[in-house]
Amino acid sequence: MWFRIDFHSSKPIYEQIKEGIKLLVLSGKLREGEFLPSIRSLAEDLGVNLNTVARAYRELVMEGVLEVRRGEGYVVANTKREVLQSFLEDALRNVLKDCKTAGISEERVIEIVREVYGGEGGC
Amino acid sequence: MLTVRGLKKSYGSKVAVDGVSFEIGKSEVFAILGPNGAGKTTTLKCVLGLRRPDSGEIKLAGSFSYLPEEKNLYPYLRVKDTVDLFERIGKNFKREKAISSLEKYGIDPKLKVSELSHGMKTLTYLSLVLAEDVDLYVLDEPTWGLDPLARSDVLNALRSLTYEGKSVLYTSHILSEVEKVADRILIMKAGKAIIQGYLDDVKASYKLVVSERELDGYLLKRTKKELIYLVRVDRIPEGVEVRDASFEEIFEAIVRGERDVA
Repeated sequence: MWFRIDFHSSKPIYEQIKEGIKLLVLSGKLREGEFLPSIRSLAEDLGVNLNTVARAYRELVMEGVLEVRRGEGYVVANTKREVLQSFLEDALRNVLKDCKTAGISEERVIEIVREVYGGEGGC
Repeated sequence: MLTVRGLKKSYGSKVAVDGVSFEIGKSEVFAILGPNGAGKTTTLKCVLGLRRPDSGEIKLAGSFSYLPEEKNLYPYLRVKDTVDLFERIGKNFKREKAISSLEKYGIDPKLKVSELSHGMKTLTYLSLVLAEDVDLYVLDEPTWGLDPLARSDVLNALRSLTYEGKSVLYTSHILSEVEKVADRILIMKAGKAIIQGYLDDVKASYKLVVSERELDGYLLKRTKKELIYLVRVDRIPEGVEVRDASFEEIFEAIVRGERDVA
């Protein structure tokens, strides 16, 4: 498993790992019931410290994204997509705030949304 | 693993370390940062028992090895003789580990220490110190004089030590390097610990605020019209422009800042 970690970002590294895993679940690359790599193996793959991966897994368990299987490891839990998506919605909200400040009209934003989603607001 | 409480050390009338406390857990990389003369090396030397603290408490549970700030090996010895020497005086020295590390860095064991470049000398010394099988590695400027590739190899070597349950205490000037490898940091200035914690938490605790008037925070810089402050996230005033702060900006604002925080 691999995704890029930005060590110089102001976003904490454990947050980046949590978001990386949520994206893998949302895109279907990690399925419900599937095992995640061991803490050590993911730490090696990403080039980060054990404690950082352990913290990300621990928080994902608290959020209900992962489950602990005693003595076996961590598996993807049955999580509502909305829970997984909320960090993306927060990011979108921030971009929209910037758009608003920059004077981009609501109509224009909706136009862009339609463009990306491909037509009549369906998703 | 290591607990330090209220460490104080003066040389004559000069206070080198002024009441520093921190702890290092198992499998952790702990970095001490700070400008020159902040007291980093003296702190390490007190931890190792090379300097007697004036006051304070140091509890070290386990064995350690040490890479000093001056990477002085016997200049007339060959690298391979230096390995023999470390094997004889070392507590739990793994010869094969030292040899394979030297090989990885392309250091010819037949060379005399005096024939090595600064970087090669650092890598040689580091290979020997990391070949000691101990609980805590205390490293003073372990990447000094290294090129980016060697530095990256060294950081990976430090990280893999923690995978085996070892801990690392080290000092560095290079913030980008610390961001890659440290779990916890301690920033020192004039002998005092001005900030410490998990690096991830430190990063999440501060934001930059762009303001036209003075406010309570660490001033990072001033432009013609604005003041740019580093402010704790829980103390951001209403109605100001807020931006993310990089670790470099956090470091700079706090170390330059006139105010000290506990």
